[in-house]
Amino acid sequence: MARKKDDQRAMVGSEEVKFTIDQLRRIMDRKHNIRNMSVIAHVDHGKSTLTDSLVAAAGIIAQEVAGDVRMTDTRQDEAERGITIKSTGISLYYEMLEGDLKNFKGEREGNEFLINLIDSPGHVDFSSEVTAALRITDGALVVVDCVEGVCVQTETVLRQALGERVKPILAVNKMDRCFLELNLDPEEAYLTFQRVVESANVIMATYEDALLGDIQVYPEKGTVAFSAGLHGWGFTLTNFAKMYASKFGIDEAKMMSRLWGANFFDSATKKWTNKHSGTATCKRGFVMLCYEPIKQIIELCMSDQRDELWSKLQKIGVNMKSEEKELTGKALMKRVMQSWLPASSALLEMMIYHLPSPASAQQYRVQNLYEGPLDDPYASAIRNCDPEGPLMLYVSKMIPASDRGRFYAFGRVFSGRVSTGLKVRIMGPNFIPGEKKDLYVKSVQRTVIWMGKKQETVEDVPCGNTVAMVGLDQFITKNATLTNEKEVDAHPIRAMKFSVSPVVSVAVTSRVPSDLPKLQEGLKRLAKSDPMVVCTMSETGEHIISAAGELHLEICLKDLQVDFMNGAEVSISDPIVSFRETVFERSCRTVMSKSPNKHNRLYVEARPTEDGLAEAIDDEKIGPGVDPRNRSRILSEEFGWDKDLTKKIWCFGPEGKGPNMVVDTCKGVQYLNEIKDSIVAGFELASKEGPLADENMRGVCFEICDVILHADTIHRGGGQIIPTARRVFYAATLTARPRLLEPVYLVEIQAPEQVLGGIYNVLNQKRGQVFEEIHRPGTPLYTVKAYLPVIESFKFNESLRAQTGGQAFPQLVFDHWDMVSSDPLEPGTPAAARVAEIRRKKGLKEQITPLCEFEDKL
Amino acid sequence: MDFESNYDIVGSAQFIRTHDFTRVALQFPDHLLKDSTRVVTALRKRLQSLKKIDVTEGGHEKDVGLFVMADTAYGSCCVDEVGASHINADSVIHYGHTCFSPTTNLPAFFVFGKASVCIPDCVESMSKYALINSKPIMVLFGLEYAHSIQQIKERLLKPSDPKLEVHFADVPSSVMFPSKDTKKINGLQEPASGYHGESGTTYSIGGLTWKLPEGQSMDDYSLFWIGLDDSAFANVVLTFNTCDIVLMSIVVVKIPIKIMNLFDSAILEARYELDWWQDFRYDANENQMVTDLFQQRRILKRRYYLVERAKDANIVGILVGTLGVAGYLHIINQMMELITGAGKKAYTLVMGRPNPAKLANFPECDVFLYVSCAQSALLDSKEYLAPVITPFEAMIAFNRGSQWTGAYVMEFRDLINLPQTEVADQEEEARFSFLKGGYVEDFGNQENVEEEREALALVNATEKALQLRNNSNAIVKGNARSGAEFLATRSYQGLNMPIENISPEPYLIGRRGRASGYEDEKNQQ
Repeated sequence: MARKKDDQRAMVGSEEVKFTIDQLRRIMDRKHNIRNMSVIAHVDHGKSTLTDSLVAAAGIIAQEVAGDVRMTDTRQDEAERGITIKSTGISLYYEMLEGDLKNFKGEREGNEFLINLIDSPGHVDFSSEVTAALRITDGALVVVDCVEGVCVQTETVLRQALGERVKPILAVNKMDRCFLELNLDPEEAYLTFQRVVESANVIMATYEDALLGDIQVYPEKGTVAFSAGLHGWGFTLTNFAKMYASKFGIDEAKMMSRLWGANFFDSATKKWTNKHSGTATCKRGFVMLCYEPIKQIIELCMSDQRDELWSKLQKIGVNMKSEEKELTGKALMKRVMQSWLPASSALLEMMIYHLPSPASAQQYRVQNLYEGPLDDPYASAIRNCDPEGPLMLYVSKMIPASDRGRFYAFGRVFSGRVSTGLKVRIMGPNFIPGEKKDLYVKSVQRTVIWMGKKQETVEDVPCGNTVAMVGLDQFITKNATLTNEKEVDAHPIRAMKFSVSPVVSVAVTSRVPSDLPKLQEGLKRLAKSDPMVVCTMSETGEHIISAAGELHLEICLKDLQVDFMNGAEVSISDPIVSFRETVFERSCRTVMSKSPNKHNRLYVEARPTEDGLAEAIDDEKIGPGVDPRNRSRILSEEFGWDKDLTKKIWCFGPEGKGPNMVVDTCKGVQYLNEIKDSIVAGFELASKEGPLADENMRGVCFEICDVILHADTIHRGGGQIIPTARRVFYAATLTARPRLLEPVYLVEIQAPEQVLGGIYNVLNQKRGQVFEEIHRPGTPLYTVKAYLPVIESFKFNESLRAQTGGQAFPQLVFDHWDMVSSDPLEPGTPAAARVAEIRRKKGLKEQITPLCEFEDKL
Repeated sequence: MDFESNYDIVGSAQFIRTHDFTRVALQFPDHLLKDSTRVVTALRKRLQSLKKIDVTEGGHEKDVGLFVMADTAYGSCCVDEVGASHINADSVIHYGHTCFSPTTNLPAFFVFGKASVCIPDCVESMSKYALINSKPIMVLFGLEYAHSIQQIKERLLKPSDPKLEVHFADVPSSVMFPSKDTKKINGLQEPASGYHGESGTTYSIGGLTWKLPEGQSMDDYSLFWIGLDDSAFANVVLTFNTCDIVLMSIVVVKIPIKIMNLFDSAILEARYELDWWQDFRYDANENQMVTDLFQQRRILKRRYYLVERAKDANIVGILVGTLGVAGYLHIINQMMELITGAGKKAYTLVMGRPNPAKLANFPECDVFLYVSCAQSALLDSKEYLAPVITPFEAMIAFNRGSQWTGAYVMEFRDLINLPQTEVADQEEEARFSFLKGGYVEDFGNQENVEEEREALALVNATEKALQLRNNSNAIVKGNARSGAEFLATRSYQGLNMPIENISPEPYLIGRRGRASGYEDEKNQQ
């Protein structure tokens, strides 16, 4: 009886169900038969479409519609815009034939495999989704459009993957464009593909990692697939090698090596050579044995030469059903190619062969993942992927549930197992081992495996798998580490590092004041639903939403109003761009401020930090968390600091870790230690709200030159020193030629030559600076790279579309802070106007507070 | 305006005489202190003359002691009862601007002073405004204009235009007696924001009282303020911030064009921000109408921000801002309970009138709660390192589940009888901090944590004292849950290590002179 019931829990409503949830659950225990992988790529290179063909192979959607459904685009706006916005997980079951596994060297238990796949968005604005996906996977399928090649986002996500020690494999996608659209010469096509592989390898080569092994991809080793996601076909050289090995009677591996690179076959002499012999019959192995056969079949299909097609197909062992033979043109071609070279089997095989199982991946990833000591039981449980060990689970994102307001916590079990009803310790991002901050103990209400548009409840999920949990959403904002209730010694899993930062903000207020509670609730949900978006509040009492880019913001605002506030209207301000304040040179004199009781004096100078130092602090190479000896070495070697001075850094700020610092350069001052905390507190305030426009400071180093203190403790308390420190830091900044820093985007635009003029026009209007223009060989496409100030970037997309007839798609990603060259203290300059504008928005006096308010005379 | 009438010498003398006070404290704000001697002379003269009458009537003879009090420790708007009790005074005469907060022990007589107002102008603009406005008008005024109100009222209502619906708040009586009723001393008085009597709702704010007929609330009225843009006005503005917005056109004779512009922008603004109130102010000195209340509107938003900040606080400093206003002890205790109930630590600080330097001596406090009279309650400046909030804001911040609705209560006395919103903790959820943009732990949610902490605080502190600190630079502020914990994280722990070189220091001649500039420095200039 129970058996039968279980059978009815078969996967999806389609008639053609290939596996049941029980089968799936069974493999989840076999840690060597699991592959966790994400699909990553530049926008519009065909990730979701390619994913579809994999899903089709698992029987969740019908083979016929694969390529059109976009199973992993679950949201309405994703379907409408045709881009992926949220990363979506899907678990696939795949059974390999014994024969296909004969070359498999790794460990396995049986022929069944479970592939936990996460489809991620390609637009830069949603990079955070990619980061969240990479954290919980071990392998990455990097999809590259064979015509457009490796683009900026391909590079970004690839770097991120390698940073997380995620092993990449490559899929050269949109092969159909070569045949149907561009009609490339075979040799030319080969060169195009080779360039794609090479440029990917160039990036990967910079991440040499002994533990991860050789991470470069080679078609001749089977780590590169060629696919046409839209038509659902694809192959690796393994497929062809197998085919020809038996035909030519040579070893499969040898055959494979001949199918790529400088291996030429002369059909007249039947000889293989390393060089093109110059005769007409001599052709590259790949061209002759892979590319041209495909080309022939496609041409036969498209030109409707049926008889010849059937005989050809017979020869290569493809049998078509009679009703399929009725098809014509593209439909026929799609069907034929799918039967001949199904993308799913090529890709799945590649994943199973070349991507690590959790058992092997966690051995080296534990270093990246675990924050605590690598010899404690938790680290070794992760390393061994031990289902019997303590639970270590990382929640990488929250997924909105169908009942409004609730969320699934989605993550990966690294060790132990999570089950329904289990009491777990939730360690939030601010948790510090040994303390009780940001720590909750709660029960998991339900464990669920994610199937794209559907979810299936299971009793428990063992390590090595992705999982979604119900009942924890009221304690997790974005991510968290979960462990068993009693495991009080466990350290959390390292927080994710995002490649983008939230630079674009708007203020929102509820249209109707009584909707404020709704707005608060909505913001709370919005903050959970997205790994990147930040919902904060300005000092003036407005709610601020910050996102990575304009599109991201647009999606967030839509989600907020429609989904999270049930349609209650909000009024949205103009975009707010945050600036930074810095200094241009050393203070023209040592400035002094007196405490309110006039008994204490601080003498300070400000100077800009060395080039690259602020970035180094951002990257946490030099910061409060770094070992002082290391910091001292880097500062003296790379930035030319005096060795002694490096030991006298008092603090960084704002938030105790920002790119500004206080250095003590005074000698023999009594009681100086005592006021250190007060000065640090004053610095914290000053560096958070600079003197120009209350923006954060960046790249300012304050040197304390001298201090005079009252002899009685009571007269040099915090009340005297903190405000004085703040004033003196402001005074020092104002005397060091203060400047405004504005955020700048890196823009990459791919477009055909004829619209380049339009692109330059728009960029010029928006203060953009083009620094690179490359023609992509073999295509009519140009890649233009430029810097564009964030403040000018709003509506950039629209004007670009208007100027180029929609042929240019920009990708904007925050790149660096750029100094506004004019002097903000001089009235009438652009910088001064900008400062006045910011101050007005913040409700400050438009005039910058003059120096005399901060500096005291003797 | 002559001196005697401005300082209401006659009334004050009458007040002393009728109640037979013998020791009277005269409380002057700083800016009126210069007149104090003249007032005392005049008052004494007046009392003399009254005494003569008394003597002839055969009453008993007593000398009245008059004492001038200056430089109050708290706001000068409240009656300084503590100061008065130093000289055993049995009553206080308060001069100048007042918040009209009830006294605890001593009877008080208020002299508001008399500010001049151009009555015809005022009446004219008011009637014009009233004609266009569809809503009835409630006229409120600064107490220093109270003397002219009767005239304005008569003039305005003289045309007997039935359409003109203008109501005036009642002029308060200048005499105040501490309530004998113990319930009232505890602050259980009629709420300022209105209570429902039999015949309607009575409102009282800053000494002004008025009554609205049954079924009407302040939302049905437009407010008209005669007076300065001072703390009394801010009080009114914040308390009645939900007053429905009425668009009205005002034509003032003097500068019609400017006003029309203001009007236009007011329309736009009102359309844009339907949520905020708008009322109108008649500035009697300059005789002009001001409709642009953007600044005040900002205040409310800013207060909302401060409430959210307060929610994140771990340590709260309760500043005692008054020792006179009735019920202050009650509210302090109530606030203590509220804060500890929310799992936060509260310290009570008495420091007179707070200023940034004083507050900065307590860097461990994440937020200060200022208990004072309604008109000095709002302290907000960039100079303060931590926000200063009012008891009402504390109620919202520390009561789980209470919401910022926009309604605002300034008088802490009204909070005492405000029903405690019982928050059924049916759905346990971590608190979402809008400043940090994420969930933060609320100690209230974690039972026993607090208890354990109290018992083991010392143990924990000593445990941590021996911890190896790998980096002295890593000072994390804002995580401390009590003052002791905060001090434990300070980098300076009290003593400097003895310097190796212990040979005696040579004799040095120190600096001379005053801190504002020592003698050697003076020479440099």
